[in-house]
Amino acid sequence: MTPRQIGLNLGGLVALIGLLGLFYWQSTGARAVPALTNALQDKDAKVRIAAAQALAEIGQAAAPAVTPLLNQALHDPVQYASTEAARTLKTINLAAARQVMTAYLPALKDDDVQARRKACVVLGGLGPVAKPAVPNLISALNDTDETVRMHAVGSLGEIGIPATLVIPALIKALHDPAQAVRHRALSQFAFSIPPTEAVIPHLKQLLEDKDLGIATLARSALNSPHRQAKDRISVYVTMLQMGSANDYALRQLAQLGPEAAGTVPAVISVLKDKRPLYRYLAAEVLGAIGFDAKDAVPALIAALQDIDPVVQMGVEDALEAIGTPEAHQAVTAHRHTESSK
Amino acid sequence: MTTLRDTRTLTRITVTLYWGCIVFGLALPGVVTVAHNIYQRHGAFAEAWQEFRLHLFAPGYNLFLIGVLNAIPFILLAVFILFHLGTAAKQKPMIITRRLIGVAGAVAVAVGLSAWAHIGTTLYPDAQGALVYFFLPIYLLVLIPLGYACGRLVSNLLFRKPAPPA
Repeated sequence: MTPRQIGLNLGGLVALIGLLGLFYWQSTGARAVPALTNALQDKDAKVRIAAAQALAEIGQAAAPAVTPLLNQALHDPVQYASTEAARTLKTINLAAARQVMTAYLPALKDDDVQARRKACVVLGGLGPVAKPAVPNLISALNDTDETVRMHAVGSLGEIGIPATLVIPALIKALHDPAQAVRHRALSQFAFSIPPTEAVIPHLKQLLEDKDLGIATLARSALNSPHRQAKDRISVYVTMLQMGSANDYALRQLAQLGPEAAGTVPAVISVLKDKRPLYRYLAAEVLGAIGFDAKDAVPALIAALQDIDPVVQMGVEDALEAIGTPEAHQAVTAHRHTESSK
Repeated sequence: MTTLRDTRTLTRITVTLYWGCIVFGLALPGVVTVAHNIYQRHGAFAEAWQEFRLHLFAPGYNLFLIGVLNAIPFILLAVFILFHLGTAAKQKPMIITRRLIGVAGAVAVAVGLSAWAHIGTTLYPDAQGALVYFFLPIYLLVLIPLGYACGRLVSNLLFRKPAPPA
């Protein structure tokens, strides 16, 4: 081969790599949003689900897709497609996610069992943003349908806050007559919710469960690394500082409540994160810590001006939970301003 | 000495191997995925193709990234082939043959190992299966030279230099 021929072939390879790079650039990030938004209208549920998941990866840059996502979350006949749309919305627009929550709350009392099941699952998909739905989901634990109760348990685990309501509800579910419900409740303590001291006796009791699967899972929950969550606070702080898996770290800290008091400075810095979900979760952590987070009051007062109304609500709750006179005064003034608008 | 016709044949072989390696490396993961989807759906190519396209950049799948990772050692092999065989015409025919057999060994190892890894991972999915996609290029980069060495060894055994006249 002549040097020219070799050069041409190498040039062809460089051109191919360039084309692949262009294809990647065109198919990812905000540039992919129009195509993914169209895919949300596809007749194939798998396409709609994959499109919603891809939009979640893009995050806030997928804002133009909020309306079709909202539509999918509220009206898609396929439960999983609705859930994935709801899951995506919480990463893009908290107000839209709250809209989904509000729309599904009445469905928890629907006569149609399928509607109640779907409502539970979709609310769980919203994660901590669906915190106001916790009391309704706790009521769903008394549903006559075992699957509704099981989904309600799963959703409570996914929402995870406030721990003061969620953990007692999950403890109650540990003694549900249905094996599937007990199993789901145990899974929460084994894999996502740090079991508090109040949970341990119930887990020990389940070690003797006649169902071997339940007994094994109870052992897993008792041996769960989450049990030493207090010792892992430094890990969560490192995660926050590195900006990796912030939602997980913040949720864990919110569940720990006052025990996470040492993390206040790290959490304050998240109040200025560009992602509203993280800012909301940071406010939830500070609220869960309570009075010990009093050093965060000035930052929280500043965060009352957050552009996201759901973050503002979370900040108000946090200030009320901290309860210093300065915090109360700021909340009152903010509510007054908001109502006069 | 090689004739003009031999040179053209060698160029054709070189270019075919060069682009074949690149295309194979990039396309293999996709081809395996689509074939597996078709097998699962009993022949619905359109659905299998759509599913593949959906998962090109989807979290948890990233078939595009897998294709690129798989292509890296193949691209390096292709460039090696381009220079090694592309400049071989000036050599004696025996050396050209030995180089061809060496390259065949390298290509066989690359294609065989890569195909085996991708088919195996697709047929028997596992929680840690995705690790294959990260380690495979490293294994290939080590084993391709070994394949070439084996090919050269075989060619040395098959085509010995004629003994010098006594």
